Amino acid sequence: MTIASEVLSSIQSAFPGAVLDSRVESDRRLWATIDSNKILDVCKHLSSKHSFDHYSGSAGVDWIARKEMEVVEIMASHGAHQVVAMLKIKTPRENPSVKSLTGLYWNANWYEREIWEMFGINFEGHPEQYPLLLSDELMGAWPWRKDYKGYPDLTTGERAVEITTPDGYTEYRIPPTPAEVEAGTVVVERPKYPSFREREELEIKSDSEMIMHLGPQHAMVPGPFLLDILVEGERVKKAFLDLGYIHKGIEKIMENRTWLQGITYTDRMCYVASLSNNECYCGAVEKILGLEVPQRAQYIRVILEELSRIQSHLIGTGEFLTLVAGVGYAPWQYMIMDREKIISLIESVTGARLTHTFVRFGGVRNDLPEGFAEQCKKVLPYMKSRTEEFIELFAQDPIYSARMENIGSITPETAKRMGVSGPPLRATGVAYDMRKEDPILLYPDLDFKVITGTRGDSADRIDVRLREILESIHIIEQCLDRIPSGPIKTEAKIPKKVPAGEAYYRVEDPRGEMGMYVISDGGDKPYRVKVRGPFYATFQTLTPLLEGVYIADAVAIAGSMDGCPSEADR
Amino acid sequence: MDGIIEIITQFAAEEPAIFALIIGIIGAAVISGVVNVGAMLVIWGERKVLSDFCNRYGPNRVGGRWGILQLGADAIKLFTKEDIIPGDADKAVYVWAPIVASMATMLVAVAIPFGALHINGKDYPLVVANMDISALYVEAALSLMAIAVFMAGYSSNNKYSILGAFRGIARMIAYEVPMGVCVISVAVMAHSLNLVEIVESQTIWYAFAQPLGFVIFVIALITDLGRIPFDQSEAEEEIISGYNTEYSGIRWGLLYFQEYNNALLGSILLTLLFLGGWHGPIIPIPILDIISPLIWLFMKVVIVLWFFIWVRSSLFRLRIDQVTDFGWKWMLPLSLLNLGWAVLIGSYFA
Repeated sequence: MTIASEVLSSIQSAFPGAVLDSRVESDRRLWATIDSNKILDVCKHLSSKHSFDHYSGSAGVDWIARKEMEVVEIMASHGAHQVVAMLKIKTPRENPSVKSLTGLYWNANWYEREIWEMFGINFEGHPEQYPLLLSDELMGAWPWRKDYKGYPDLTTGERAVEITTPDGYTEYRIPPTPAEVEAGTVVVERPKYPSFREREELEIKSDSEMIMHLGPQHAMVPGPFLLDILVEGERVKKAFLDLGYIHKGIEKIMENRTWLQGITYTDRMCYVASLSNNECYCGAVEKILGLEVPQRAQYIRVILEELSRIQSHLIGTGEFLTLVAGVGYAPWQYMIMDREKIISLIESVTGARLTHTFVRFGGVRNDLPEGFAEQCKKVLPYMKSRTEEFIELFAQDPIYSARMENIGSITPETAKRMGVSGPPLRATGVAYDMRKEDPILLYPDLDFKVITGTRGDSADRIDVRLREILESIHIIEQCLDRIPSGPIKTEAKIPKKVPAGEAYYRVEDPRGEMGMYVISDGGDKPYRVKVRGPFYATFQTLTPLLEGVYIADAVAIAGSMDGCPSEADR
Repeated sequence: MDGIIEIITQFAAEEPAIFALIIGIIGAAVISGVVNVGAMLVIWGERKVLSDFCNRYGPNRVGGRWGILQLGADAIKLFTKEDIIPGDADKAVYVWAPIVASMATMLVAVAIPFGALHINGKDYPLVVANMDISALYVEAALSLMAIAVFMAGYSSNNKYSILGAFRGIARMIAYEVPMGVCVISVAVMAHSLNLVEIVESQTIWYAFAQPLGFVIFVIALITDLGRIPFDQSEAEEEIISGYNTEYSGIRWGLLYFQEYNNALLGSILLTLLFLGGWHGPIIPIPILDIISPLIWLFMKVVIVLWFFIWVRSSLFRLRIDQVTDFGWKWMLPLSLLNLGWAVLIGSYFA
């Protein structure tokens, strides 16, 4: 199997001089600074020669002291090997610009758009550079740069000014700086997200077509996101997707909080999977600190993360069923009832139902309470029989299969190309699970299967989730049998200031591959935290998937992705 | 008792016009009460039973533990809410749609026998208009609801509404036909289109005499009532609330109410046509023996309604193309097959 150093030497031999700087952290992590002119060639080489077919995301970093910006492309492979290549491209801080990878990787689109609107790094050749997460009036303020003053301007206290446009609409804009006023460039033409009316004029070709909202306020959406569909009769001809309705700027907030405080913010990204988010952040920081997690703490983390996976899958499946069957559908309430038992188990350990803030650097906050194992052994067999019952129920329901089977089917090749992650990816038959690919904690020692489907349709996505619950139960049972006694926190002293360094850490969130890229500059706060959320990745694929389906199927497809816009927007 | 009946029969024979008028006025008053109170109970019952299926409590605050006054509270809320008519709506049609819906229900209600009184070994059916073609008439009046749905959806000038209205029309056309054929099959077997005579002729229930027709009628009825798995016209997860998205306050209340009025009348119709109507063993207790046909009808209707709620809590919603496909490609041919069966068996027994 390919290891990181082989990949590095392959790049160096194919493109002499392209690698400006490099570091092989381990067999599975490669850090390399690539010449910005050669990045496209290097990526082509990597994907063709070393099967780096998984574009996992990209992060922007503003190195204000060095007067340069960095774009970090995160590359991995769908199972061919376990190397994650972190390719850095440097660009000057004045007029930063790099080459777009959208031609090579379809799903680079959103990641690059986000970096562009947050850092102002221009991507040459990007097809649609307009706002994704930000509102129009914040465009051009580049809010994630280190010298951003806030909105309203925190230094002067000025608020955005109200401007009436020629069309009679009211808009708010950042007040122009005195320099801008002097130069006469007050009215800055900022790229805008097309308004509904503009989109209607642009897209509607005949009288029988109309654009319909399925969000941000709609009975279908799991959280606010915009989904407009262009329909002709009952057929969806085109779908338009937009994020940013629940954008909280968590990555930026974490830069202004101490390392420990950051854990709390990871909870808020997606409250049904907060333990995975905790784990991801803490794992990355542990990597920088070089901390060893004691055995018992590892067991506790695995148990709780698997419990949290069970409850997340239950609510994801249950909510989705109500989208197709209506709120009166009884099994949904049974799933919620069963989920309550799991939540009580987690609550008995962490003290919170959803936002746990439980994982700590080098351990966990507190030990398991007395009688936890007995409680688990009562609940888990029940959960197992219930889950088997649900699987059987759906397998026997003819209306269920009429509505779900061959709806929104994705082929494995398309899924890989579009960067789908988690159960939707595994439903297509690609066995890609971080617990096997990039194993952390004690996952290598545990016996479990990666659940895959065959058709990649909505029915398979539900089936994969339900069968993953059974695997999680199996994992927890193993852990409960083997859990040793001992300390739950590392004995090493955790410094307030984390030494300079960077780490990329991946965990298997209930929704798929969650990765966090954490940079420390030696201070008491993170220099940059980039969250690569799983639903953000899966979300992008909705646009092509919804083309040509019925309206009812559009709901059945969008719902089956188990969406969490809160995590996608961060 | 005998004397009273004799007087009434004599009066009816001597002055048929005046007798019909009196019966009509009393009947109209009674049915609007019975149907509306009945619908309220159906709504309450659905909320309670559905909660039971879903492992919830349902209404349990207003009016004691069983939440029996919840509907009163809801009705007061609906009456006092602001009535909003969208600026771009077709105002006249918008305002009339709920009224047409109520009218359709009342038209059905006048021809439906709500039971019978058992006096001296004879059943006296309780029906306002005992027409010779009441089965056909009821079937026709039930489909008037489709017009009201379309009026509401079309006049709202809303994308969700118009889609809901289209869906409603497509679905109702596809299922009214097999439903009508099933009614005709029953009439063929009963040698009458009069609902009272159809009930009286059921020595064995038509559900057993023509099981296929029974199943088709039940499916078509659920479709007609717009209940899951056939509630595409108001699928809230797709098109918000479908044809009544823009309605609010008491106008919405009227539309909502008509659905449950129809559910009640539809289950009574199903009971009359296929489940032996008010037939059942007479309870040998004074007073109770008089109303025992009423009790039987009531119990059958409750079971039918309970079945509808059970279906709602356990089935998925079909897609509109699947619904129309199933209607035209399966329900219609099968209902015609059932008609052939009814003709064959009917003529054999005759």
